[in-house]
Amino acid sequence: MSSFFRREIRMRRRLVIVGAGFALLLAGCSSLTPGSSASTSSTPSTSSAAVSATTSTGGAVASSGAVGSGSGVAAVTTAVPADKVELKLAFTDSPDMTKALIAAFEKKFPQVTITSQYTQFNDYVKSLKLAMSSDSAPDLAQYNAAFGTFVAGGLIRDLTPYEQAYGWDKSFPKSALDELRVDPTGKILGTGALIAVPGGLSLVGVYYNKQLMTKAGITSPPTTLTEMEADLAKAKTAGITPVSVGSLDTGGLHVWASVMNVSTDVPALKNWINGKAGSSIVTPAAIAATQKFADWAKKGYFPASANGTSENDSATAFAKGASLFLINGNWAAAQLDKAMGANVGFMVMPPATAGGKAVGNGFSVSYSISAKSKHPEAAAAFLNFLQSPEASVIEDAGGFLPPNASAAPAATGVKGDLKKANQAVVSADGLIPFPDFAAPAMLDSLESGLQSVIAGREQPQDFLQSLQTVWTAYHGS
Amino acid sequence: MSADIVTAPAEVTSNRVPRRAGRSSRVNRTRFSTWAYIAPAFLLYGLFVIIPALHTVYISLFNWDGVTLATWAGFGNYESVFTSEALRGAIEHALVLILFFAGLPILLGLVLTAVLSRFRRPGMSLFRVIFFLPQIVPLVAVGITWRWMYNEDGAVNQILRAIGLGGITRAWLGDFNLALFAVGLIGTWALTGLCTMLFVSGAQKVEPNLYEAARLDGAGAIREFRAVTLPALRGEIAVALTVTTIAALASFDVIYVSTNGSPGNTTTVPGLLVYRLAFTDGQVGQASALAVTLTVLILIVVLIINRLVDAKDEQ
Repeated sequence: MSSFFRREIRMRRRLVIVGAGFALLLAGCSSLTPGSSASTSSTPSTSSAAVSATTSTGGAVASSGAVGSGSGVAAVTTAVPADKVELKLAFTDSPDMTKALIAAFEKKFPQVTITSQYTQFNDYVKSLKLAMSSDSAPDLAQYNAAFGTFVAGGLIRDLTPYEQAYGWDKSFPKSALDELRVDPTGKILGTGALIAVPGGLSLVGVYYNKQLMTKAGITSPPTTLTEMEADLAKAKTAGITPVSVGSLDTGGLHVWASVMNVSTDVPALKNWINGKAGSSIVTPAAIAATQKFADWAKKGYFPASANGTSENDSATAFAKGASLFLINGNWAAAQLDKAMGANVGFMVMPPATAGGKAVGNGFSVSYSISAKSKHPEAAAAFLNFLQSPEASVIEDAGGFLPPNASAAPAATGVKGDLKKANQAVVSADGLIPFPDFAAPAMLDSLESGLQSVIAGREQPQDFLQSLQTVWTAYHGS
Repeated sequence: MSADIVTAPAEVTSNRVPRRAGRSSRVNRTRFSTWAYIAPAFLLYGLFVIIPALHTVYISLFNWDGVTLATWAGFGNYESVFTSEALRGAIEHALVLILFFAGLPILLGLVLTAVLSRFRRPGMSLFRVIFFLPQIVPLVAVGITWRWMYNEDGAVNQILRAIGLGGITRAWLGDFNLALFAVGLIGTWALTGLCTMLFVSGAQKVEPNLYEAARLDGAGAIREFRAVTLPALRGEIAVALTVTTIAALASFDVIYVSTNGSPGNTTTVPGLLVYRLAFTDGQVGQASALAVTLTVLILIVVLIINRLVDAKDEQ
């Protein structure tokens, strides 16, 4: 066996020489520069980006694609072509909802056929990176935070002209659309070209167990953060775990971010998440909010096993009556409704002062149009369809909050609470993107940092500073 | 067989001046057929292993997000690999994992082999199947299952409570001091079977009369194992050590599904950082540089292991 390895080494030496030859060959061929296929395959003048080209000409679709070339002030039309059109839609979330939306749309516009391509989440971004830069790119693709790089690569169509033509600024919630705007570099969110349209919103808030509330001597759900803290203390005294937290993965993030949302300046926080130059998360208010989060952990308001429990498992624990509160998103509602029925309620995170703005973290399942699509009008018609009453019913059944909040079907119980909370947040323009959108590497830093804060191993200021370091590495100072 | 193929061209070059005219064509024919034999395997290996590997090296010299046009970085990516604090932690964790992925499984494998080879009974192969089972289960499934078992109310804590150790129960993967050991033990569980199987089949090569002789000389179970079984297993141990050490240094799947590096960054490993850099942070160049560095590191460790075994061989 040992001699086998020696022989291998000798072989390897020879291979190194062969390898060096290959490398020279590769280096000599400049088109082999990684990423060159993405930019050479788009139209000649748009090596910079489809989106950036568009924004510079003031909202006209001037880039690749089929729409009005030449003058540069091409008006887009909201008319769906009468000819038969086939669209491809790539997606990864909620197959049932997506297929129902497609079926309903096809019923309304029989000349349009949409073929859907499902890819499992873990492979979605990776495979889409290849698909979007290929000549057979899907017309519609479910948006993902990683699409920023596609924008810089000129692979996504700027939807701003359609937004104006259809009046989406009125039919979709402003804060939900703003989360889908991105500057030409693909790094700064919340401003610039609209690159996707939401088909269903998500919202993080507070679930509460009504029976345990009574048991702890709490008469009504808290209306301020101070009241909520008092309730946490009451629960602890009554021997009830105050909050179920699953910080092995994303569960801790929801709790911390919810405290941050109601304790710090929301526009500044949004600027930081969106990547606006000069933003910082290391502010006195943020340190105080993180300290509050750390104190909750220290006082035993979180289960001792928080760092070893996943977000899903923490929701399951809450469903079994393990705690008074659970800070989680609308995606947990169906499970909790089934398990707890009338015993569970939902509210937005209580504001710092009574009557404060309703805010909450949330994003959307949303769809983009490929810059290479030959039928952008038909694809835009699908996007517009997402806020129709028919679509709202499907989105609601799929477990999302319809972007057209008033078109959501009537609901009772926790789903009714969610609908109310969503309307409050939408009307207050209070939807805040998830903090991990601030930079690609942010999620890992947030998760590991919050685990350390919960365990009392990192001071709030050091934690926030570590986030700022990741932010600066991506955005520059 | 591979020896013939490798050495044949060397022979040819040393005999460049043919002694007899007739030999030259035969040599040429040999040379041709040698290459013809190698070609299919070499082409496939080159296409799917060597070229991708070289491509990784090539990409590691660029700043690339995976989509847009890359810019030349030279050795900048390697510089950041060597100055990264996160990586230092990850390599330390991988070294600790060697203990659990290589050390413990080999030790346990030897103990099991000692027991199994001393008490040879019909149906031995059944034991081998049982011990080998963890190898058959995909590591992702192993990781998820163990994540459940390490839960606050998982099997591990249930057993501890049942035997009166309720005081030490905790969510093991959430414990800053113990999570790495907990993850390491998953590797021990998965790799012990592999080592045992290797050793048991190695021990079966030993002539039964050697054991008989040892017993006649009055050797007990331990003496017999040390004097007869262990020396016979030197080759198998070297193989096991190589394979399991690579598994430790290149570990990714179990960690990714069980802790994803948490809590804090106490269970990060280089493989996880490669994945994060490439697929979440969009720094494909740096990920490639780290992957190349990791490969070199693993090759060095494997070389050291083989040198150690060689040195003993020559004694």
